[in-house]
Amino acid sequence: MARNKVKSGNMFLLITLLPAILILGGFIVLFLWGFYQSLTDMRFGRSRVDFEGIENYARLVGRSRFWESVSATAIYAFSAVICESVLGLAIAKLFNTKAVLAQWLRPAILLPLVLPPLSVALMWTTMMNPETGVMNYFLSFVGIENFPWTAKAETAMFAIVFIDVWTFTPFFALIIFAGLRGITPDIIEGARMNGAKAWGIFWRVELPMVLPYILLAALFRIIDSLNQFDIIFGTTQGGPGNATDVLSVSAYFTAFQNLYFGRGAAIMIVNWLMVLLTAMVVVKLWQYTRKRVGGYA
Amino acid sequence: MKTITKLTMASAIVALMGTAAYAEDFNWRQFEGTEITWAYDIHPYADAVVAYLDEFEELTGIKVTAELYPDDTYWGKLNIQLSTGSPDWDVVGTGIQPAWDVTPAGQLAGLRGLIEDPNMTSPSYDYEDFFPALRAAWTWDVAEEEIIANPDGEIWGIPHAFENMQLMYRTDILERLGVEPPSTLPELTIACEQIRAADPNMTPMAVRGVRFWSSIHTAPISIAQSYGVRDFVGTGDAMDTALDSAESIRFHKDYVAMIQACAPDSWANDNWYQVVDGLSTGTTAMAVDANMFGFWNNIEGSSDAAGKIAFAPPLTAPDNDEFASNIWIWSLAINGASEKKGAAWYFMQWATSKEMNVRGATDGKLVNPPRSSAWQAQEWIEYANQPEFNNFYDTFNTVQEKTSLLFTPRYGFGAAMNAWAVAMQEMVGGADVEESLSNLAEEIRDEL
Repeated sequence: MARNKVKSGNMFLLITLLPAILILGGFIVLFLWGFYQSLTDMRFGRSRVDFEGIENYARLVGRSRFWESVSATAIYAFSAVICESVLGLAIAKLFNTKAVLAQWLRPAILLPLVLPPLSVALMWTTMMNPETGVMNYFLSFVGIENFPWTAKAETAMFAIVFIDVWTFTPFFALIIFAGLRGITPDIIEGARMNGAKAWGIFWRVELPMVLPYILLAALFRIIDSLNQFDIIFGTTQGGPGNATDVLSVSAYFTAFQNLYFGRGAAIMIVNWLMVLLTAMVVVKLWQYTRKRVGGYA
Repeated sequence: MKTITKLTMASAIVALMGTAAYAEDFNWRQFEGTEITWAYDIHPYADAVVAYLDEFEELTGIKVTAELYPDDTYWGKLNIQLSTGSPDWDVVGTGIQPAWDVTPAGQLAGLRGLIEDPNMTSPSYDYEDFFPALRAAWTWDVAEEEIIANPDGEIWGIPHAFENMQLMYRTDILERLGVEPPSTLPELTIACEQIRAADPNMTPMAVRGVRFWSSIHTAPISIAQSYGVRDFVGTGDAMDTALDSAESIRFHKDYVAMIQACAPDSWANDNWYQVVDGLSTGTTAMAVDANMFGFWNNIEGSSDAAGKIAFAPPLTAPDNDEFASNIWIWSLAINGASEKKGAAWYFMQWATSKEMNVRGATDGKLVNPPRSSAWQAQEWIEYANQPEFNNFYDTFNTVQEKTSLLFTPRYGFGAAMNAWAVAMQEMVGGADVEESLSNLAEEIRDEL
C-alpha cells in the first residue's frame, strides 16, 4: 500500500516535471544540432551538405579577421561592463541618500531599460550622426567639433560601448541599490563608532558587502554583452571596416549574408564558449566574495 | 463637384479598359478559389500592385495575401523561407544578384515552361517586350554550386520595375554655388571641393557606404567599368577576380579620394535612405544612386526637392567618355517549394502585364517600367516629360543604352561583394589601397 503511494507520488512528480524536461531537452537537442552544423560545409542555396570535422574551426583560427572579432567582442563586453559597474555603483550610492535628485531619478532611470535595444541603436545612430546629430551639437559647447562617433574605425568602438553603458547602467544601479539597502544601519554605526570616516565606511564596509551584488549584475551583463547583436548591428553593422565586427555580428554576416551557414555556426559556438568560460570565472568570483561577506548576498 | 464627377467617370473608363484588356481568349479562372501569399519589400513598387489587387481577384478568383516587410527584415526572412523549403510564400520579390545564390539548389522555380505554355500564359503577355538587357540578366542555367551563362537557359524571375544608376543633382544648389555637373570622377572631386569652399554646411555628394554589396552595386561598379575594372575574369575553373588589377587600383585610388573629398562623415553608415534624404532635404548637392529616387522626389508635393533634381549619366574615368550603368531589377519569382505554382504564375503574369506596367508608372510608382512598350505608351511619355521631372526621360533613354548588369553571374556573389564593401570602408578609413585590394583578392580567391 505504502509502496503504491510512493509510486503514484513519483509518477505525479514525473508528470509535473515533464514539460520542463522536454523544454530543456529541446534546448540541448537544438544546441547539439547547431554544433553538428558547425562541423559541416552547409551553405544556403546548396542542397549537398558534407561533414567536414573541425575544418570550419581550423579555418577560423587561421584568419586574422577572426581574432579581430574575438578581440572586438572582448573589448566591447568588458569595457561596457566595467564602466556600467562603476557608474551603477555611483548612481546607487546617490539613490541611497535622501537627496531630492535621488527621489526624482529613481523612476526615470528605468527608461533606457524598457526600450528595445534595436530602437536604442536607431535612436543613437541619429543622435550620433557626425553632421546632423544632436551629440555633436552638445560637444561643440566644450570645443569638440565633428566627432565622428560610429563613422570612423577609431571611434566606433567607443560609440557602441557608450550606447551599451547608457542602456544598461540602470540595471547595475538597481541591483547595487538593493545591496546597499540591505546593509543595516547598525553595521554602518558600528564602523563609525570605530572611527571610520565616510570614505573608510564605503571602502571597507559598503563596497565589500555590495561586491557580490556587483558581480551578480556583472554576470548577467557579461553574458548579454558578449552576445550583443542588436545595438551593434543597428548602429555600425560591424564596421567601419571590421572595427566593431564582434562574433555575433560576424556570425550573422557569415551565415545570412554570405550564406556560409556551417561557418556561421562555428563562430557562434566559439562565441558560446567565450560566454561560458567568462561566466564560470565570474561565478567563481561571486562565490568567493559571497563567502567573504558570510553569505550576505 | 464637376471635377469629382469627371474623375469618377475617367476612373470608370480606365477600369473598363483595364478589364477589357484581360477579356481575351484565355482562361483567367483556371485557378479560381486558390489562395496564395505574395511577399515583398515595403516599397512603392509593392504599392503599385496592392492598389489593384481587387481587380486581380475579380479577374481570376485567386485570393492574394500581400506580406510586406521593411527592407532589412525582408531579405533575412526571404533567405530563411527559401532555404528551409517553406511553401508559405508562393510569389516573392527578389533581385538577380540574390537569386544567383539560391537557384542552384532549386529554391526558385523555373519559369520558361510556364511562359511558353499557351494554357498558362495569356497570348497578350508578350515576354519579349521586356528590355533585352533585363531578360538576358534573368536567364541562366544552374549546376551544383554553379551559374552557367546561357541566353536560352532557364528564366528565374520576371522584371517588375528596375533602377539604373545615374548622377542626380540639385539644380538649385549647383546654380547657387556656380558649380557645373561633373562627368568624370576627378571632376567630381574638384566640384566637391568647390562646393565645400562655397558652402561649408553643404554635403557635396552622397553615395551608399554600408558594408553590404548594395553599396557596391550603385556608384562603384558603374564607375569602375569605365576604368576597365571587372569583378571577375575567365569562366569555370579559370575564373579569377580582377579586383587587384592595375585598373582596379587606379579606380579605387580615385574613388577613395572622391569619397574623402565629397561624402559626409557618416558615409560608412549611409544606406540609400540617407543618400535620398540628403538630396530631398537639400543638405546634399549630388548623389549617385538609382534614378527613380530622383524621380519620386521630383513629384510635386513629395518633398522640398520637387522639380529641382536633374539627372546625368554615371561618372567616368578621366580618359574615357564611355560611361556604364548597373541595374537593379526588382522582380517577381516563384518559391521553388510553393504548392500553388499555377496560381502564383497567374498573379505574376497579371502584375507584370503591359497594362499594369503603364498604370504603375503613370501612378508615379512603378519607375522605371521594364517593358519597352511602356516607354512608347503616350500616357507614360506625357507623364514622365512633365517639367517637374526635368531631364528624367531623356537621360533614361541615353543611359539605358549603356545599362546592363555589371556583376559576373556566380554562386557566392554575396560573400565576395560584401568583402569588397568592407575593403572599401577600410580604404576610405585610410588603409593602403594596393594592400587592401590584394587582401580582398586573396580572400575572394580562397573561395573560388
